[in-house]
Amino acid sequence: MAKLHVAFEAGGPDRVIEFDPAAAPFHHDGEPGSILDVLLGHGIDLEHACGGNCACTTCHVIVLDGMEHLSENEEEEDDMLDKAPGLRATSRLGCQAVMDGGEVKILIPRYTINQQI
Amino acid sequence: MSSAPTYTATIERVVERTPDTRSFFLRVAGGRPLPSVPGQFLSFLLPADGKTLTRAYTIASPPDETGPIEICLNRVAGGPGSAYLFGCREGDELRFTGPWGRFVIDEPSDAEHVFIADRVGVVPFRPMLARLLSGRPRFPVSLLYGAARESDLLFLDEWRTWDLRCPQFSFHPLIPGEGQGAYSIDATVVPYVEQRFVKADHNRDRRFSICGIGRPILRVRDVLRGAGYARGAVKYEKW
Repeated sequence: MAKLHVAFEAGGPDRVIEFDPAAAPFHHDGEPGSILDVLLGHGIDLEHACGGNCACTTCHVIVLDGMEHLSENEEEEDDMLDKAPGLRATSRLGCQAVMDGGEVKILIPRYTINQQI
Repeated sequence: MSSAPTYTATIERVVERTPDTRSFFLRVAGGRPLPSVPGQFLSFLLPADGKTLTRAYTIASPPDETGPIEICLNRVAGGPGSAYLFGCREGDELRFTGPWGRFVIDEPSDAEHVFIADRVGVVPFRPMLARLLSGRPRFPVSLLYGAARESDLLFLDEWRTWDLRCPQFSFHPLIPGEGQGAYSIDATVVPYVEQRFVKADHNRDRRFSICGIGRPILRVRDVLRGAGYARGAVKYEKW
């Protein structure tokens, strides 16, 4: 089993999701087993304007702990993250970061939609 | 559910562009204008299997057109989003957010600009090129457009018209010739790009916008960045 802790910069209670990574996909947006897929499949909304296709940054999350349990960034994700508001060293796109198990803690930033022009 | 404002639009017209590609002309409720930048997409909220899926479709019409908004998409095998839309008829309503996206061009380039499209990936370039070419660009602009056959090239008459009308623009369809095998990015697009923009000269000041389907389109990016073009000069969107 894997565990995903979710904190919300905009406020609201933290959530903890326990799930079996082998049961992915949980939804049909984003990479199967990605943070986005896990959140949507467990009733937690995360913006994903492009449908989880690595074509926007609205699913930007900040990893607080457990980066080693996530898939490596690819160049495509890095190129897209360059455009994310509030970028941090541990920023990932929820649609691309796939959990392999273990325990991961993330923060969902307050501002995810100011990519809209 | 997205926290962004959600709009409703009615499908005013459906046009079959190729056997598996359709344009949907959408009239936003209340005649609401929808300011956008060329290359942006709309994010549709589509019902499928009791869930709401989010699917992005790029705006195919120029932002300054006053008529309905056009989106153009191909049917994806096993894809619930395109399956839903291909089942829609004129008069049906769709919900969406946006416009979104930063794979855009709103101002003329300060150097030669090369657009490289794979199949339906040409859609964002239609509003981009309409904006660029109507502004009489100072530097050369070209469109390399790959597909299996000429009848698969979307908006072909428009590209040819721009080619005749705008001295700075050139159109290069990339279609396999007889005996060259099936179309693919690797076999059809990459060799042309390598020959023309890597091996032919040492100019690395060009700008590129690349759009296509699936991971193979990333190889065009890799060839250009690997040849010394700056990361920021090679922009792309993978569908």
